[in-house]
Amino acid sequence: MKFNLLEVNLSTGEKKVTDVTGDIRNYLGGRGYGAKLMWERVPQGADPLGEENILYVGVGPITGFLGAITSINGKSPLTLRGGTSHMNGHFGNELIQAGYNAGILLTGKSPKPVYLYIKNGDVEIRSAENLWGKSNLEAQQALHKALRKELEDQNFRIMTIGPAGEHRVRNAAISHEVYHFAARLGMGAVMGSKNLKAIAVRGTNAPAYHDPRRLYEMTTTFHKKAIMKKVEDRRWGHNLSVPGRYYNTTEGVKNKQLGWDPICDLSNSLVLEQQYKVWNDACNYCHTGCKVPSFRRTPPLGPTLGELRHDNAGGWDANVMLPGYDVQVYLTPYVDELGLDSEDVSGVVAWMMECYQRGLITKEELGGIDLTWGNLPAICKLLKKIAYREGIGDILAEGLKLAPPKLRKEMAKYAITNKGIAITSYEPRGSIQDAVDLAVVPVGELHAARGVPKRVVIDSLTICSFLRNHVQQVFGLDNFARDMLYGTCGWDVSQEEWLDMIRRGATMERAYCIREGYVPVRDDVLPDRFFEETITNKYGEPKILKKEEFLERREKTYLAFELNRSGIPPRENLRKLGMDFVIPALEKTLGSWE
Amino acid sequence: MEENKGLKGPQSATMGEAKKTGWGIENLPYPAGVALIQARWDLCTGCGTCEMACSMKHFGVIHRERSRIRIYRYLLPIPKSVQNVCCQCSEKERECEKACPVDPPVIHYDKEKFHMVVDKDRCLGSSCAQCQEACPAHVPRFCPPDADYSLVCDLCETNGERRPECVEVCPNYALEYLAPQIPQHLERIHPDQKAEYLSKRLYPLPKDRLQIPPEELFPEDNVKKEK
Repeated sequence: MKFNLLEVNLSTGEKKVTDVTGDIRNYLGGRGYGAKLMWERVPQGADPLGEENILYVGVGPITGFLGAITSINGKSPLTLRGGTSHMNGHFGNELIQAGYNAGILLTGKSPKPVYLYIKNGDVEIRSAENLWGKSNLEAQQALHKALRKELEDQNFRIMTIGPAGEHRVRNAAISHEVYHFAARLGMGAVMGSKNLKAIAVRGTNAPAYHDPRRLYEMTTTFHKKAIMKKVEDRRWGHNLSVPGRYYNTTEGVKNKQLGWDPICDLSNSLVLEQQYKVWNDACNYCHTGCKVPSFRRTPPLGPTLGELRHDNAGGWDANVMLPGYDVQVYLTPYVDELGLDSEDVSGVVAWMMECYQRGLITKEELGGIDLTWGNLPAICKLLKKIAYREGIGDILAEGLKLAPPKLRKEMAKYAITNKGIAITSYEPRGSIQDAVDLAVVPVGELHAARGVPKRVVIDSLTICSFLRNHVQQVFGLDNFARDMLYGTCGWDVSQEEWLDMIRRGATMERAYCIREGYVPVRDDVLPDRFFEETITNKYGEPKILKKEEFLERREKTYLAFELNRSGIPPRENLRKLGMDFVIPALEKTLGSWE
Repeated sequence: MEENKGLKGPQSATMGEAKKTGWGIENLPYPAGVALIQARWDLCTGCGTCEMACSMKHFGVIHRERSRIRIYRYLLPIPKSVQNVCCQCSEKERECEKACPVDPPVIHYDKEKFHMVVDKDRCLGSSCAQCQEACPAHVPRFCPPDADYSLVCDLCETNGERRPECVEVCPNYALEYLAPQIPQHLERIHPDQKAEYLSKRLYPLPKDRLQIPPEELFPEDNVKKEK
C-alpha cells in the first residue's frame, strides 16, 4: 500500500502529493510522523505562530477502525516545543477515503483568510472572508450549506477554528462537528496564524486495503468482545470518571487549594444521564457511542446543549467552584463556540480567580469583572476577553508559560502548570502515578502522557485512546496492531520491528522537544504547591506529594522508557532505531551525553 | 509474546467467531414473507458499521459509497446521523419501478424472494437515475465507476436465504429486520426530513446556536445586581 501525503503551501498556493511510504513504515503516521515532520520542516527556535511552523493533519495506517483519530501536529505556541493534539470523529477516515492516507501537511501562511476544500483529487484554497469571525458551529453550518448546495452531497467532514484561533490565542482549539476537539497545545492558534479558517474534506474512493475481510472481522469481533465498553460508556460517556476522581482526590478543587468540597457531590453522572442525555453518537466504525450530548431546556440558562466529559467539563466544576451540571452544560458549549481549549483555559481562569481571591489582581485590572469563585457571568466575560484578546485577556491569551512573567511576580506561583500547560482536571496529590506520568511527558499534558511511549504509538496508528485498554484485553495491543497493519498495508511486521515502531515515535517526539529547549530533569517537575500544601479528602485524610518519592519514581520511569537517568535517549538507541540524523542537533543542544 | 501468530492467515485467537455471535438480533425469528429493514434513526450513532458490512457483503471491499444502506450526518446543531435504506415498498407505492425508462423495468420487485432486484447489466446507470429521482427518500444510489447501477437493498439474499448483514452488525440495535408493521412506504422519509423531525427534540434551539449567548442572558446590570 502506498502512502500519500498532501502538501499544501498556503503562502504560494502550491499543492503536491508525495509518496512517504518509507517514513510511514518507520513512524506509522499521526503523532510519531508529526514529530518527524516537525524535526525536518520547522527550523530550530522558529516562532510557532510564524510562517515557518507547520500544521500536520495526520492520520495513521488503521485510522477509521476503532475510532477515526485525527492527529494534529505542529510546534506548540503554548509550550514553544513539540505540539500534538488529537480529535475523534469522522474527519480522519474521510481523509483516507479522499486518498491522502498519510495526512495533510500545511506550510506557509495565507495572506488572506481561506479554507481548504478537498474532494478526492480536487484540492482548492478558497476564500473564507464570509466565514472569518464566525463561531465554530456557525462556520460549520455555513460551510455545510454552501458545499451541499454545490455538490448535492452533505456528508462533508469539516474542521474549523473559532474566534480564539483567529486571534491566535495560544490555547485555541480546532473543532470538528461541534464537540470533537483537537484542543490541547494550541493547535487552533497555529491554524489561525496561517489564516486558515477551515478544512472541508469529502472522500468517495475505496481505500486500497490489503485484506478488507480481515479488517472487517477484526472490527466486528472487537465490537462484540468489548461489549462492556459499550454498556458503560453509552450511559454516561466520559463524564463517568469525574465523580470517582473526586473521591480518589485526583480531580482538582478550587485551583488545587482543596482536596474536596461539598459541591463535588453535585457531579453525579447518573443525574447527567437521567436529566440531560439526548442520544448517543459515535465515531467512525466504533460500537461504543460514547458521545452523550446533554440538553437543558429550562430557564434561567436554557435552552443549551453541551457534551460534558472529563476533558472539557472537568476543569469547569469544582476547580473554579461551579456547582453541578446545570452550569456546566451552559459553560462548556460557550467555551467550545469561542474555540478555546476548555481544559487549558479553565486553568487560566482558576489561576485568575485565586489571584483575585488573594487580592493580587484588582477588579479594575480585570476590566470590571468581579471574578469570585463560581461566578458564571464573570467567567463568561473573562472568556470572551481572552478569546478576542481584549484588555487583560490579551495577556491571559498567552497561556500559563508566557503570561505569568507579564503580570505581578507573586501571581506566578499560583499558576498550576506543567511546561506551560494548565493542570486543571487532575490532582497529582491523589495519585503519584498521575504525578509522574504528567511530569515526564515531553509535550507536557496528561492525555498525551499515559503510558508513553506506547501512547505515542497508539496516537500514531491511530486508535481511540478510550479503546486501548479493551484492545489490550481482547487481542493484546501488539497482536492487534500487527494484524491490522497486515490487513491495511500488507506488512508482515515482526514483534521486534513493532517494538521499534513504538520506540521510534516516542524518541522522535522527545528528541524534537529537547532540540527546542526541553531539559527533562529541569522541566519534568510539578508546581511547588503539590509538594508543600497538604490537602484533605472528604474523610479528612491528608494528601501530599513527597519530593524524594517523586524524583525516585521519575528516574525509574526514565529508565523504563529506555532513556538515561536524565531522561535523554542514549546515543546507541538512536543509532539502533536508525535515527542517527538527530544526533548532531542534540549534541549542539546538550553537549555530550551518555 | 507469541510470535507472529496472527499474520499467516485469518485466524487470530478471536477471529472466526464473529459470524456466530451477533448482538442477539440473529436469535429473533426472521420473517418468512414480505420483510424490510426498519431503521430506527433515533438510535443511530453514525458509526457506519452497517455501511462497511454492506460493501463487504456485496463487493468484498470496505467502501462506504458502495453501500446500499447509507448514513447521513447533520448538525442539529449537535451531530446526528440517520440511516437511509430501501423499505421494499408495496406494489402500488413502488415509484422507482414505475419511473424506470427501460422495459421491463431494471429495478423491480422479486415476488418470490420478496425484495427489490436490479438487473445491473441493463441498468442505464447514473446518467439516467430516474429511480433515484422518483424515490421520495432518494434511496437508490450509484457509485460510478465501480458500480454504475442502481444500488438498492436486497436483504442480503443469497440462494433464497435472506440474512441482512447490516442488521447483524449494528451495535445500536438501530436496524430491525421485520415483516412490515406499518405500510412500508411510510418509512420512506427523506433523510433531510428525518433530521428535521429529530431536531424538534431540541426545540427551541435554532440549528446554528448551542445556547443563548451570555451577553443576552447576563446583561450588564444583572452582573452588578449579583454582587
